[in-house]
Amino acid sequence: MTASAGVSIGDQVPPWTMESVDPARMKTMAAILRDPYPVHWDRAGNERVGLGPRVINQGPLNVGYIANMLMAWAGPSSIRRLTLAFGRPVLDGDRVSAHGVVTEIDERDGEPFAACDVWLERDGEHVVTGTAVVCTAALAAAAGDPGHRRSLDRREGLAT
Amino acid sequence: MTITEDELNALVGHRFPGGRYRVAHWENWLLTDCTGSDQLPDGLVHPIALFHAPILGSRTSIAELFARCRAAGPGSVSLLSYDWEYLEPLREDVDYRCEGGIVEAARSSSPSGRRVDTIAFRIELFADHRLVARVTNRWRLHRAEA
Repeated sequence: MTASAGVSIGDQVPPWTMESVDPARMKTMAAILRDPYPVHWDRAGNERVGLGPRVINQGPLNVGYIANMLMAWAGPSSIRRLTLAFGRPVLDGDRVSAHGVVTEIDERDGEPFAACDVWLERDGEHVVTGTAVVCTAALAAAAGDPGHRRSLDRREGLAT
Repeated sequence: MTITEDELNALVGHRFPGGRYRVAHWENWLLTDCTGSDQLPDGLVHPIALFHAPILGSRTSIAELFARCRAAGPGSVSLLSYDWEYLEPLREDVDYRCEGGIVEAARSSSPSGRRVDTIAFRIELFADHRLVARVTNRWRLHRAEA
């Protein structure tokens, strides 16, 4: 299959950009995650141990930017799988953008899926790379396929 | 802080106590805000909750995992990969049963000759006996000794 309603292999997922990674958000994340690792909130400590004068973004936040891109594209309950490898750390003040391209489309149990290559980019460098599987029922519904609208409703718990 | 290769290998099979986790609305709101996203509709939990919810729900913690793996301190642990499967979307104020443990441990050397250990832990989340999510996280531990 090379195309289903609303999606084709080779389609670019609209990018999602974080203009400046915010160290205050890392502090909030550290509290939510109960993460005692000071590399995420202690700039002076990082400098003392040779990590430089900036704090390191939590991995889940980097994943979050990719998730935000996928949800903005295919809907808030669309993500089925994220398989990601971490290359370089993301630091406070970095501008990063999430990108994706559709590599495969399929249908399982009446639900349309897209597999995508995804990555997080900083200054042209891919700092997180991997794949995502996304349900594209919302895209199909937007393209006018009522069958896929029903599968989306089941997922959202709107149908019995 | 050292760990022998036998001790490292013995980590495989370690099971976390297991328990339950419920993502509260305030927690999801802050988590979502930290990502720069608008808030999600209908009580949907942001997908990145699949980091902390399984860890805390299975009654372990980042600190406990670091201690068990004898991480040396700041800069000694880095992320290798996440594999997160969502069989159902997670929702606020739902109890998820979390069960898992350490599933892989391996020793290798970096290109510069430093010792590097890799560990992976896998945790499954259930709601009413249905598997709703599964995470496998891999961390790299950089050891001071060659």
